[in-house]
Amino acid sequence: MIRTFVERFLLVAFAAFLVSVPWVVPVIANKFWVSVIAEILIWSIFAASVNLLFGYVGLLSFGQALFFGFGMYGVGIGIDQLHLSFWSAFAFGVSAAMAMALITGIFAVRLTWHYFAIITIVFSLIFYFLAVRLKPLTGGDDGINFSLPPVFSFGATRYSLTDQTFQYFFILAIFAICFYLMYLVTRSPLGRAFLAIRENDLRASLIGLNVYVLRLIAFVMAGFLAGVSGALFAFFGRYASATYMFYHVSGDGVVWAIVGGAGTLFGPVVGTTLFIFIRELVSTHWEHHSLIVGVMAILVVMLAPKGLVGLWREGLSRIGEQKTSSELNAKARLRSQP
Amino acid sequence: MSAILRTENLTKKFGGLIAVDNFTLSLESGRLHAIIGPNGAGKTTFFNLVSGILPLTSGKVFFGGREITGLKPHEISRLGIKRTLQIKSVFPQMTVAENLWVTRQASQGFLHPFRAATRDTQTRERVDQTLEQIGMTALADRTAGTLSYGDVALLEIGMALISEPKLLLLDEPTCGMSPAETERAVAKIKELARSIDIIIIEHDMEVVFGIASDIIVMTQGAILARGTPQEISNDERVREAYLGRPEDEDYVEEAAHA
Repeated sequence: MIRTFVERFLLVAFAAFLVSVPWVVPVIANKFWVSVIAEILIWSIFAASVNLLFGYVGLLSFGQALFFGFGMYGVGIGIDQLHLSFWSAFAFGVSAAMAMALITGIFAVRLTWHYFAIITIVFSLIFYFLAVRLKPLTGGDDGINFSLPPVFSFGATRYSLTDQTFQYFFILAIFAICFYLMYLVTRSPLGRAFLAIRENDLRASLIGLNVYVLRLIAFVMAGFLAGVSGALFAFFGRYASATYMFYHVSGDGVVWAIVGGAGTLFGPVVGTTLFIFIRELVSTHWEHHSLIVGVMAILVVMLAPKGLVGLWREGLSRIGEQKTSSELNAKARLRSQP
Repeated sequence: MSAILRTENLTKKFGGLIAVDNFTLSLESGRLHAIIGPNGAGKTTFFNLVSGILPLTSGKVFFGGREITGLKPHEISRLGIKRTLQIKSVFPQMTVAENLWVTRQASQGFLHPFRAATRDTQTRERVDQTLEQIGMTALADRTAGTLSYGDVALLEIGMALISEPKLLLLDEPTCGMSPAETERAVAKIKELARSIDIIIIEHDMEVVFGIASDIIVMTQGAILARGTPQEISNDERVREAYLGRPEDEDYVEEAAHA
């Protein structure tokens, strides 16, 4: 009760803040932080992709960067070489990521735990090296730079991501859609079936769930989220590069999701925000900022296995319990008075 | 009477070990069948073969006239064979009601990806009904992982029931239960047996002889004897192989050696 109330309030406050960012942030900080927040939104979708697999289905993927990279290259190659429009390139990138997730998923979801983690790493490495080698297509390590086609054009008026404020709201809208979809899925019969598989896959198959197909569906859905974030990041940076397919990017996503709280809707947002802020604040003063990330990740995994969101919820329910027990005591005292 | 479950030369080998040896068996509908036998006799392996968890080495399995040899566990489950496991297994981080809920929705084939699970009023009714049936209405919102062992076993039976099974395989349902819980579970099983075909593996002889009308005795992967409780309790071979010799005979023997 107290938890739903406080969390609803926070959610509304958070949404209000996100909407006001382009006007408020330049005043209280500077314009640079608007694009940092846009970047956080993009990477949160990526962390959500790890979270969908690990937090809801129980599959720890260290290869989500592969689908991020496909989303990114889909947009880059789509615009630069196929001369697609904005939306076609977006759709091309996301479909490429989902198709890749389907193909690799057919092999990967036969396995679980460390075997699954290893095969996802292997797949992402294979395609990383392929992307580095296929220079004419991918630009290798240098990547592809491209200029942005307009998002909408009504006659003479054109909306393009080159407008900072428009770009921010575009990213925010996609972020909101992705998390709303994720919210719907997690409370649907399909989401419950995912949880059942995470909890006990043998029992799940005995109640009639096709564990293999459901894991594959989850894997393709996670490919969708990673693909969307990769495509957005390509639009945001106006380039695509093989470096974003490296497994170190996948590892970042895993750390963000787990530290924030795997198995919770907004855990990945919390984790991503925290680590990108640390990176932006510290990296200008100290080049070894990833040490802080490492220490924090270890601390959270040891002290709060359900992540920061889990820690917060535990705290809230403790407050709730104290409150109800003190209320009960007060009532008891009232009753005992003559 | 038609056979609900029939096996032909069912065999399972684990390397050199023959766990189930050329098992030909026909179980009629309408009776409560019990499988007993010493540890390692192949009882649970038999259940694992029927429910598709283990691939069989050779032989055939028929369920109500339909061959189910080689089908996947979820396919067999959807045909109407539900089972409980020897080591009680539910979804520990979900509540009792959610456990039943997901089990019910799993049997429906299509899992809606976007509509809220709780909006399914038909399932809600069925969950409430089942909670009442297994006497766990008061525990509906408890996390399954925090239940007592007996309650987990009851929940498992509830999960088997909620999707209206045709055949229920119960693997040691009263194992680890307190006497009071055993009594409750036995009453429940007896009641269920009136409408559902049940095959039960059980070590507690009091339970078996109290509820079964047909007893199959297994040793070393094969059928040693089969019959009504009375026939089985009078069978000399069964007594020796499984129930052991009466204590007073040992006593006489010891006395003779002394």
